Amino acid sequence: MHNVVIVGAGPAGLSAAIAAAAAGAPVLLIDSNPRMGGQYWRMAADSLENQIDQHYDLETGLLLINAVKARKEIEVWSNAQIWSATHKDGVNTLRIIHQDNEKIVNTKNLIICTGAYDRTLPFPGWDTPGVMTPGAVQSLLKGHAVLAGKRIVVAGSGPFLLPVATGVLKAGGEIVELIEANKPIRWLKSFAAMLENLHKINEGYYYLKTISTGKVRPRFGYAVVRAYKADNDELDSVDIAKIDRNFNIRKIKNIKCDVAAIGWGFTADTSLAGSLGCKQIVAEDDGVVIWADDKQQTSVTGIFVAGEITGIGGSELSMAEGVIAGISAAKFVGCKVEIKKAHIKRRAKKQRFATALIRAYPIKSGWKSWLTGESIICRCEEVDLNDLKHAITELGATDSRTAKLFTRCGMGLCQGRICGRSVVDLVADNLEISPTDIDRIAAVNRPIITPIPLGVLAAGE
Amino acid sequence: MKNPDAIVIGAGVVGACSALALTNAGLKVLVIDRGPVASGTTGAGEGNILVSDKEPGAELTLAMRSRDAWFELDTDIGGGFELEAKGGIVVSRSEKGISNLKRLATLQKSSGVETIELDRNGLQKIEPYLSADVEYGVLYPKDAQCQPMLAAAQIMRAVKKRGGVFVQGENVIKVNSNHNSVTGISTDKNSYISPIVINATGTWAGEIAKMANSYLPIMPRRGFILVTSPAPKLIHHKVYDADYVANVASGQADLQSSAVVEGTASGTILIGASRERVGFNGELDVAILRQLARQAISLFPILSNVQLLRAYRGFRPYAPDHLPVIGEDALISGLWHAAGHEGAGIGLAPATGELITSQITGQSPFMDPSPFSPKRFQGSEYVAV
Ligand SMILES: Cc1cc2nc3c(=O)[nH]c(=O)nc-3n(C[C@H](O)[C@H](O)[C@H](O)COP(=O)(O)OP(=O)(O)OC[C@H]3O[C@@H](n4cnc5c(N)ncnc54)[C@H](O)[C@@H]3O)c2cc1C
Ligand SMILES: Cc1cc2nc3c(=O)[nH]c(=O)nc-3n(C[C@H](O)[C@H](O)[C@H](O)COP(=O)(O)OP(=O)(O)OC[C@H]3O[C@@H](n4cnc5c(N)ncnc54)[C@H](O)[C@@H]3O)c2cc1C
Repeated sequence: MHNVVIVGAGPAGLSAAIAAAAAGAPVLLIDSNPRMGGQYWRMAADSLENQIDQHYDLETGLLLINAVKARKEIEVWSNAQIWSATHKDGVNTLRIIHQDNEKIVNTKNLIICTGAYDRTLPFPGWDTPGVMTPGAVQSLLKGHAVLAGKRIVVAGSGPFLLPVATGVLKAGGEIVELIEANKPIRWLKSFAAMLENLHKINEGYYYLKTISTGKVRPRFGYAVVRAYKADNDELDSVDIAKIDRNFNIRKIKNIKCDVAAIGWGFTADTSLAGSLGCKQIVAEDDGVVIWADDKQQTSVTGIFVAGEITGIGGSELSMAEGVIAGISAAKFVGCKVEIKKAHIKRRAKKQRFATALIRAYPIKSGWKSWLTGESIICRCEEVDLNDLKHAITELGATDSRTAKLFTRCGMGLCQGRICGRSVVDLVADNLEISPTDIDRIAAVNRPIITPIPLGVLAAGE
Repeated sequence: MKNPDAIVIGAGVVGACSALALTNAGLKVLVIDRGPVASGTTGAGEGNILVSDKEPGAELTLAMRSRDAWFELDTDIGGGFELEAKGGIVVSRSEKGISNLKRLATLQKSSGVETIELDRNGLQKIEPYLSADVEYGVLYPKDAQCQPMLAAAQIMRAVKKRGGVFVQGENVIKVNSNHNSVTGISTDKNSYISPIVINATGTWAGEIAKMANSYLPIMPRRGFILVTSPAPKLIHHKVYDADYVANVASGQADLQSSAVVEGTASGTILIGASRERVGFNGELDVAILRQLARQAISLFPILSNVQLLRAYRGFRPYAPDHLPVIGEDALISGLWHAAGHEGAGIGLAPATGELITSQITGQSPFMDPSPFSPKRFQGSEYVAV
């Protein structure tokens, strides 16, 4: 029997590994982090005793991680980053940087669970040191037990702001402001999805309770719209604006802080699956995700996906999908196993909650009005909005690809992970058209998934 | 635009330069492209403007004029495309390679190319990170570079300012003619009338010729380029191995590569490019990336620690004899070709525009255009195929 190969050891990948192994398939689990757990269960140490108190549901995570470790039919490669992958004649070739060397895995079946990363929006001053993503603040805390600053503003939109603020408080930091752009009333539209996922409401309540023991009171309908540098080039303060339903600015006040953690939900990391030719689609939140059928199989036979990469939905949906993907892949390699009705039902329930989430935290087009001509859009290449407009009005760019070639927007170190999505929106906005799915998908196309030293590349065969 | 004097199909660098030269000569020009400016091979190439890689002959004459024409054009339209006279260095490490390179440089010199011979010390002085085992090289101060997409866009902007019209997003599907004389073209959306049509569609030029019931053997030759993450300035010229010249001239179908290494204004290092004939197959081929990386490191060992950030590829338009096609169609009068520049289309574009314009307007051309004439492929033995 062939190995089931899984990439990503977050909630989705761990669940898939256990399900495939339980069905009798040997598993190879590949992950780029030093420890299993993915984003949600990122840890600074291996055992529970040594953990700082930063997690809501680490018990489930440790349960899965220990189950993976206990099963000898699951082989785990940590610190293993896939830098490139290609698909030919039914075989997927994964090229992996592992301990400074390159390893090659050829496999006909694959489960991709590469998760997501923070979505950012540009605004004047967002390139100031001290402006970061909530994910980065949390990774420092969870992964290194380091607090990013003393006086922290947490802002943006989405439920993820709550655990980040809670984590900061628990680690002894001060939350100066916790602000959410959308109003909670939006949740009422999804009452049924909330009722059937009451424990999630409980989780939210737990965060809010912790937060209220600090002095901070969350504000809704506000956003950070400008950041200011101090003389030492570090963050001095931010402008916080009351915004309307479309995110247009109403009233502004200035707040001193040394860190502003600002995030607007997540963007799925589709680069690996995209390289292998899996069909990409544009989701309700305009993010690009990988299409999958009800068995979690992609448009490429033998490649399955689970977790945030199929659409942003949180750890529970990731686990529900992971189990189904694990069973499907095990079946694909010849195991006698079937997806159960209960699995399908669980996934559907979590999916309804995920949809409610997306609808409760929309990103409205008014964010573009926060920008000035001099606002940096691409931080790596220092391209500002005027440059982008020049590419359109003077040089004749009529799509984001051409605008990118003219300005180098999105061609720097992060390869457009940070600005790519916003650039597509801004270019379309300036042309007074709507972005096409082709534009959005082209913006996430990255055949070199992660940079690789030329020396390592040259040494490979 | 009603009744343009000439229609240019293709807004790559060659179409843009042709349109500008025609406009400057007083013609009303309409440019049509199915995509935005530079959406073809021009948007997938490097910006080398080389005289160093050409053997004496018609192409070198074209290249030398074109190199100077780039700098005149830069002044004429006000720049904005990162033109830089950076200089190229060709090196060799084998005995045979060195003697070939010496012979080539001597011939080039007698054709008027500026060349400076360098020994190991001379090389180390101007390229301190060059591998110490390189003992011979030739510096070509006239080799230059530009940012090709910006160049095409700035040139098209000048064309529009000077009265030309650019229609984008229309796919040409037919070249209309009457008694073997061009009358205009049809796109998927409109028809346009003009007695002169210039086919500047690069790798797709054969399709346009076919639409006019003529024939042009232009085919794709794939190339990959590596782009590194920004590094402090390590490399000051374009540096390449003399094997490159042999590859450029080669007719082999299988993979050839000889890394041309250069630093750019943004700090990234470009390593290009491979050459192979695989049709329009765009799949990432990691074996090629590895080969380019090996060759680049053998020239500059320090690159071993620099990170590959991205790779891209394009399809050079080539003719069987590796010369561009510039001139009037032998079968359809009024149909002009400016295509098939292979790996030198950026460098050769301005002189191509001048050459085609002087032929169309009946001015005396700066060189004999006959070696580039499409007639060489349009005798009975070809058309019968
Ligand atoms: C920074 C961050 C923090 C988050 N914190 C929370 C939180 O506190 N609470 C919450 O409910 N949700 C949180 N989320 C949302 C979270 O993404 C999901 O709830 C859940 O972790 C998704 O699980 P997953 O298995 O799909 O992906 P992930 O957990 O993201 O796991 C993906 C794994 O794939 C690996 N990987 C990706 N690409 C490659 C590659 N090319 N080669 C090798 N390995 C690769 C990654 O290293 C990672 O370990 C967070 C998201 C982010 C981005
Ligand atoms: C990897 C690589 C590296 C290179 N490096 C260099 C270099 O360093 N220096 C150099 O000088 N050259 C280089 N080249 C070669 C150079 O890029 C080309 O020779 C040059 O771009 C050709 O320009 P063009 O205008 O003829 O064609 P293109 O730029 O391809 O333009 C043709 C245009 O025609 C349009 N078109 C085609 N068919 C139709 C139709 N039916 N209707 C409407 N429009 C149509 C296309 O959309 C396209 O925009 C390189 C090429 C590659 C691939």
